[in-house]
Amino acid sequence: MSSEQPREFRPAVGTPAEPAFGEKSGETVDLHIGTFKDGRWSYLYGEDTEYQSPPAQMPDIEAIRRAAHEARTGEAPDTVQGPIINAPVWTWEVPLYFWFGGIAAGSSFVALACDLAGDEHSATVARKVALAALMPSPPLLILDLGRPARFYNMLRIFKPRSPMSMGAWALTAFGSLAGSAVAADLLGHRREAKLLGGANAIVGGYLGSYTGVLLASTAVPVWGRSRLFLGPIFVSTAAATGAAATRLALVASGLPVGHPTRRALGTVETAAMTAELILSIINERRLGPLASGLEVDRPGKLFKAAKWAVRAGLALRFARKRGGPRVHHVASLLYLAGGLMFRYAWVGAGPISARDDRAVAEMHRTTAHGT
Amino acid sequence: MSERLGFFTDTTVCIGCKACEVACKQWNDLPSDGGTFRKGGSYDSTGRLSGNTWRHVRFVELADAGGGVREDELPDLVATAAGNGSPIDVEAAVAAFDNWVFMSDVCKHCTNAGCLDACPTGALIRTEFETVVLQADVCNGCGYCVPACPFGVVDRVPEDGRAGKCTLCYDRLEDGLEPACAKACPTDSIQFGSYDELVEVAERRVAALHERGVEGAYLYGAAEAPDEQLAGGLGAFFLLTEKPERYGLPANAESPVQENVVPATLAAMGAGLLAAAGVAAAFLWERTR
Repeated sequence: MSSEQPREFRPAVGTPAEPAFGEKSGETVDLHIGTFKDGRWSYLYGEDTEYQSPPAQMPDIEAIRRAAHEARTGEAPDTVQGPIINAPVWTWEVPLYFWFGGIAAGSSFVALACDLAGDEHSATVARKVALAALMPSPPLLILDLGRPARFYNMLRIFKPRSPMSMGAWALTAFGSLAGSAVAADLLGHRREAKLLGGANAIVGGYLGSYTGVLLASTAVPVWGRSRLFLGPIFVSTAAATGAAATRLALVASGLPVGHPTRRALGTVETAAMTAELILSIINERRLGPLASGLEVDRPGKLFKAAKWAVRAGLALRFARKRGGPRVHHVASLLYLAGGLMFRYAWVGAGPISARDDRAVAEMHRTTAHGT
Repeated sequence: MSERLGFFTDTTVCIGCKACEVACKQWNDLPSDGGTFRKGGSYDSTGRLSGNTWRHVRFVELADAGGGVREDELPDLVATAAGNGSPIDVEAAVAAFDNWVFMSDVCKHCTNAGCLDACPTGALIRTEFETVVLQADVCNGCGYCVPACPFGVVDRVPEDGRAGKCTLCYDRLEDGLEPACAKACPTDSIQFGSYDELVEVAERRVAALHERGVEGAYLYGAAEAPDEQLAGGLGAFFLLTEKPERYGLPANAESPVQENVVPATLAAMGAGLLAAAGVAAAFLWERTR
C-alpha cells in the first residue's frame, strides 16, 4: 500500500466511530450468545459468510457419531504427540511415609494376633512399634504438601470417594487409637489397651492398603492398570515389614529364641514377603509395555534390587537352621529394606509411566475391564 | 443453578496465533512460560498446559500425513532469519500448509471430573455453571489432582505450591462477560456459550465439513454415543480432524477415581482382612503346635 493513500479503517458493518452493536437486527448470527453482554455480535458473521453453516439442514447425528467412533477406536497413530497427562509431583517423603505407615499397620495386626494368642508382653511391644512407626508419618505427609501450613484443610471435609481424604482420616484415627492404646498399656489398663489395639488393627487394615488404592485411582498407566494388585501388594509389604520390625523389637526386648511369638512372626514375614514377590512378578508380566515405569531408570533398578533383597531374605530364612538366629535377623532387615525399595520403586514409577506417551495412549485404546 | 456453560473449540479454523493464551495469562495474572522457541522439536513456544498455562495452543505438525517433514527436519527459522540457517523452500512450505493443525487446548470441565473426585480438601468445586473451579484459598497443594486428571490439565505450580487450572473465567461469567480466551479469539475457533447451544452449533459444523469432503472431522467430547462418552461428556469439547493422540488427547477417558476406586478398594480391603486373619492364624497355629 502506498503512503499517499489513506488506509481503509471502515468496519465491516456500521459507520466509522459508530459500531453497529445495536443496529444489526433481524437474523441472529450462527453463534449468537444472548445472555452474555459482550458476546452479542461478531465481525465474522454477515448474512453470507461461507463459514456460517446452513441453519435449515438437520445434521446427521449418526454420521457424526460414526466419525468420532472411527477416530477413537482401533490402533493409536504412529506419532503420539504428548504430553497426554501430567506427571505426579510427589517427592521422597511419600514413599517413606508409605513404608512407615505400612510398618504401623502391620504391627497393629501383630498386636491383635498376640492378644488373641494370649501373649500380653509381645502385644504391648507391638503396640509401641505401631505408634513409633506412625509418629514420622504426619510430618512426612505435611512436608510433601505444596503449602504445608495448610495441612489442616485435609480434615475440612470427609470424602469417601477420595482415597487421599480417607487416608488422612485413617491416619488421624490410627494415630489417636495407637496413642491411646500405648497410654492405656503404660497406665496398666490391659483390657482397654486390648480393645483399642483391636480397633486399631481394623483401621490398620485400611491404612496399610489405601496407599495402593490411592495410586491405583489415577490416570497413570502403571498405577491405574495395577488396580487389583496394588492394594494386595501394599498390604503384603505392610504385613511383612510390620512383622519384621516387631520381631526385631521383641528380640531387642529379650524374647527368647523358640518363643512361639518369634516363630509366628518369622512365618508371617516370610509368607507375606513371598506373597508380595509373587504378586509383583505376576503384575509386571501382566502389564506388559505399560509396566515401563517399573523397568527403567532409578525406579527400575530399585524394583529389581527390592526383588533380589526379598529373594535373599527368603534364602537366608530357609537356611536358618545352619546360620542360627542372627541370620534370621539379617533376613528381617532385608525384608524391611526390600519393602522400602518396593515403595520407592512404585512411587517413582509413576512419573516415568506418565511421561511415556505411548503407554498412556495405549492404555486408553483398551478398556480397564478385567484388569 | 445456571445453565451449563462451556467451550466449543473448532480446530479447523484455528490459526495458531496464541491470542487466547495471552488473553488468559493477562486476565488471570499468570506468569509467562519463557521465550524458548521450538519446544520439543516443534514450532510451539509455550509447550503444554500447566498450573500457569490454562490455555495452550498445541502445534500439531503432521509429519506422517504425507508431504510433511519429520520433527527433526523442521527448518530452524531463527537461524534462517539470522542468516546462517538453511534456505527455506517457500513453494514447498506453502504446499505443506495443509499439514499444520493447531488446537487451543484447555481444561475440559468434565462431567465426571477426576480432579474433583480426587481433591481431599474440597478446594475443587462444581460451580453453578457446571464448570470445575479450583479455590486457591483452600488448596493445600497435596498434588493428588495432578495424576487424577486423564487430560493432563491441572498441575502444581512450583513457585506457589498450589494447583492451578482454567476456571472458565468464573469471575467474568458472574459479571456477564464471556471468558477472556473466547473473547480474544480472532477466528472464533474458541466459541463460548450455553452447552446445549454449542453442541448444536458443533454438530452443524461437523455436518457442513462432512458435506465439503472433510470426512475425518469429528467431535471430541460431545454428541458421542452414550457408551462412548469421555468422562461423562466434556464441558469444553473440540472439533478434530486427526486421531486424538496427535493432539495429545487420550482416545478414551474416565475419571480414574470413579473407574478404579471401588475395585481397588475391594481388592485392598479383601487383602487387608486376609492378611490380618493370616497373622492371627499363624500365631494361633504356633500356640497349638
